[in-house]
Amino acid sequence: MSPSPISIPPSSLVADDTTGDSVLQPFFVLHKALPQKCERKAAGSTRTRRKIDLPPSFPKSPEKSDAVASSVGPNDTNYERLRLEAFNMTWSKIDTTIKEVLTRVHRSLFAEVHQWALESFLALKSGEPRNAFEIQSPYPLLDDVICKQIPTAMILTKNAEFVDDMLTFQELGEHLKSKGCHIANLSAMDFCAKDGIACCLRSLLRQLVMDAPDLADMSVLSSWYCEPENYDHPVIIVIDDMERCCGAILADFIRLLSEWVMKLPVIFIMGVATTDTAKKLLPSDALQHLQSSKFTLGSPLERMNALVEAVLVKPSFGFNIGHNVAVFMRNYFLGHDGTITSFVRALKLACVKHFSMEPLSFLGIDILDENQVFLHGKCDALPDSLLKYAFNLPSSKRGKDCMNSRDDLEEGLSDLRKLLKAWSSVILCLYEVGKHNKIQLLDIFCEATDPTLSSLDPSNHKLERSFNGQNLAEGRLDFKGGLISQLIHTVRELPLSSLIKLLDLWSIHTEELCEVHGEVRELQSVVKSSNNGNNLKERQIDCHRMSMSLCAGRTSLSVNGKAAALLDYMVRKFLMPIECLCFHEIICFRNVDILQSALIGNPRRNIQIDLMKSTTYMKCSCCCSTENVLSPTMHDTSVMYNLAQEHGDLINLQDWYHSFKSTVLSTNKLKCPLQHSPMSKKVKSSPSESEASIQARFCRAVIELQIAGLIRMPSKKRPDFVQRVAFGL
Amino acid sequence: MDTRVGEEVPMEEDDEFMLSRNYFLAKEAGSTSRKKSARKLSDIDLVDEQQVLRMAVSVIKPKHEKEIESLLKSYKDLYSKWLFELRCGFGLLMYGFGSKKILLEDFASTALTDYGVVVINGYLPSVNIKQVVITLAEVLSDQLKHKRKNSTRSKSRTQQPFSSQSIEDLLSFLNLQLPDDNDCFICVVIHNIDGPSLRDSESQQYLARIASCSLVRMVASIDHVNAPLLWDKKMVHTQFNWCWYHVPTFAPYKFEGSFFPLVLANCGNSRTTKTALVVLQSLTPNAQSMPINALYTKCRERFLVSNQVTLNSHLTEFKDHELVKVGRHADGQDCLHIPLPSEALGQLLQELG
Repeated sequence: MSPSPISIPPSSLVADDTTGDSVLQPFFVLHKALPQKCERKAAGSTRTRRKIDLPPSFPKSPEKSDAVASSVGPNDTNYERLRLEAFNMTWSKIDTTIKEVLTRVHRSLFAEVHQWALESFLALKSGEPRNAFEIQSPYPLLDDVICKQIPTAMILTKNAEFVDDMLTFQELGEHLKSKGCHIANLSAMDFCAKDGIACCLRSLLRQLVMDAPDLADMSVLSSWYCEPENYDHPVIIVIDDMERCCGAILADFIRLLSEWVMKLPVIFIMGVATTDTAKKLLPSDALQHLQSSKFTLGSPLERMNALVEAVLVKPSFGFNIGHNVAVFMRNYFLGHDGTITSFVRALKLACVKHFSMEPLSFLGIDILDENQVFLHGKCDALPDSLLKYAFNLPSSKRGKDCMNSRDDLEEGLSDLRKLLKAWSSVILCLYEVGKHNKIQLLDIFCEATDPTLSSLDPSNHKLERSFNGQNLAEGRLDFKGGLISQLIHTVRELPLSSLIKLLDLWSIHTEELCEVHGEVRELQSVVKSSNNGNNLKERQIDCHRMSMSLCAGRTSLSVNGKAAALLDYMVRKFLMPIECLCFHEIICFRNVDILQSALIGNPRRNIQIDLMKSTTYMKCSCCCSTENVLSPTMHDTSVMYNLAQEHGDLINLQDWYHSFKSTVLSTNKLKCPLQHSPMSKKVKSSPSESEASIQARFCRAVIELQIAGLIRMPSKKRPDFVQRVAFGL
Repeated sequence: MDTRVGEEVPMEEDDEFMLSRNYFLAKEAGSTSRKKSARKLSDIDLVDEQQVLRMAVSVIKPKHEKEIESLLKSYKDLYSKWLFELRCGFGLLMYGFGSKKILLEDFASTALTDYGVVVINGYLPSVNIKQVVITLAEVLSDQLKHKRKNSTRSKSRTQQPFSSQSIEDLLSFLNLQLPDDNDCFICVVIHNIDGPSLRDSESQQYLARIASCSLVRMVASIDHVNAPLLWDKKMVHTQFNWCWYHVPTFAPYKFEGSFFPLVLANCGNSRTTKTALVVLQSLTPNAQSMPINALYTKCRERFLVSNQVTLNSHLTEFKDHELVKVGRHADGQDCLHIPLPSEALGQLLQELG
């Protein structure tokens, strides 16, 4: 790896600068930001950028800057800044898209809730007091239970994990706010038994009343509501996860608000996992103050499909993921917790890792821009070292020979853009078919990114042989993975009405894919005219009317067959997995191991492995590298943990101590014949270590195992045993 | 579903571990007639002097110093990546065997010089989060002052001194949205975010809220194998936003371990003057200067506490760290005592004085 841009004097790391008071202070300021750097940065950031500026040291022309260019490595700080800015732009685009998609998915529900809120508000208003004095005075108390009911929308989340819904409720709040409602979001944290009702009231006031005094007083709220700009709008309180609230506090809150509801038109929106959540949580007297209506959120899979379509399939961000990463993320979604939140987090981490690792990733944002001016500028200004890097990418070597010039790179990148667009159109066409079979887009995406699919290239002779009219007619197209061939087969069996709709959708998706678009239009007209004739189902159409070369050699096919053949043609011609495209490394993240280790730390397994196999990290000459052989020079805690493996749930301290002692005192002549390092000599020269020292080492190792949570200290019942806690990896 | 991609664990290795466990469990179970190892700790020729053992621990000859040093150095190559990820809005969570104190502080003092850094020693018995948040706000406000001389938005909230603001106000200050720059933040380095003082859910909730503030980035270390159980989905996915790094250092847990009793030092009486001193030093000044065995009235007379609740909160702290033990007197009253030998107590008072 090339040296990092941060230069550190080598001695600083080991210098024990942690001595002194700081280690015993609960916290301390290590240092403050360097002022000069801050100012310089501030000056640099005042310019507004639509596109990424080239760094100041960016060589303008390759001829005169060869010397500079050769010193500009891919890890140069300027390029790092470029990549960081590219990441920020890319992710903010993706993030905005995700939010839009999720809002779109929820749009109808949001509209429904808004409508309901308006109606409830009108109902409340019909009995409301006329003037400000009446609103602010807490008396007369309302006696009629019906009058004290708070309209409540119970939104059924149908989700075991609540983390996704937080965002949904936040968006719902924002949606209602944009429609002129007053919104306060309260969470379970605000309803905890410890702080009582004051905490949620304070939080409510904080959100509604600007510069609210730190008082939990309803009169503050009522006088706020009397102000002309606030009056005559419903006050909506969103509680995203009702189940996690403390029931007693929530009940108090409801009782309190119900006293005011005629004066302050409060409406609740509560997220519940099941219909009887409220019954379980609240006492009946609080429950009778709620006038509830039910709503239901969409399923995570529905949201997932929309999200994959907008973010992964449509190539508009200059960032994509490879097959392994896609499969990992699908499994992570399905197997981990099924939440969109975790999926998006995984995607963001992949994006960060991509921009942090791939030197040319900053080009990605411009590759997919129709306007190629920026890409041209960037390619033109690339230093030789990066240009060389680009043509040394494995995918570029696979491609055709060229001059390796800046123009070639630019051309290669714009080819990449075209191919990706075509690829994306085909996936969308496949997904339209998949909707009939309830096949998830992510599954199609995973199969379509599989690089082994590229063997379906029409030039592949082996496949061409299997691709004949006979097979097609029988629906026996055997693609690896099977999902895509299943979809093609589905087309053959679609009823006519669905086929017409499907072709309409295809014609939208293939608009930019002229070659296919014409075929789709042609097929559309055939289907429509046949449909008019009303005798279509069994009708055979002459193949020669189709210009598609693929149809040559076959005499006749049904309309469904033709559609299937067209889809098949699209798949073969355009569904080139991204990992088979030239220069894909620039926009495609493929390193699944890095993503996995950063996303799911596995302390339980890894800490144990650290201890079991400490020698692999130490890389010393003194310890035996053979597995399962303990040498006295090994790390004490590692020796102890290896010895602990020879015990069951309980370890007798005395046994453990003696085996430790004999291990560390043993001379390892037999086990390690090649010991001439100074370290091993030192060990040999002091064979009779004092008992106190060995006991101290033993104690420290026990403490370290305790810190790692691998053993528990002796209990009063069993003072001579420690308990092992972790078993297995 | 293809689980192999999501599962890293090679099955053989896992089996091997389970096999050995089952074997020894079976052996233990079968040996009841022969009586399982009943050897006592006292059979070891124990170094009885507690202090001697502590002393011996502090002078243990380090092993593999060079290798540990080069292992730590090898992580330096990752510093620029770590910084990149922090700037992209992720938190860093370091795990793996060995103390990561030196590694984290080295990273902070070499790579994070552009940002204010506050270090929390989570391995200590008590950390006051509110105080931490106040300090964070002060460091941030300093940093913002340097950046933008006439910032109207940040001033409106900072008129009141930070120390008298509520934690909500402080958190919303840390969560300001700066319109023009997303590379302005301060860093919180937490040694042992799973440490004894931070292990309770309230502390973790506050830490999660701090981590989710737009102007704060968190770099933390964990040592306990079950540390992830401290966090729920919301904290993991939306607040801490960890990027995990496995960075075993094999460096000794010099400071982290100093609060644990020595197993061979007669477990029960393992509290030394040193640990007591450390606990007392890390408490608030009021708690430090309070004579532990004094009763409520006496504390009141000396204006140390004004009500029973405050006294109780101090006492709870002492009880938690076993500096004070509660016993019930024959007449039913609770009695407090300090489980330290009198000479140790004398020495303690001397050192405190």
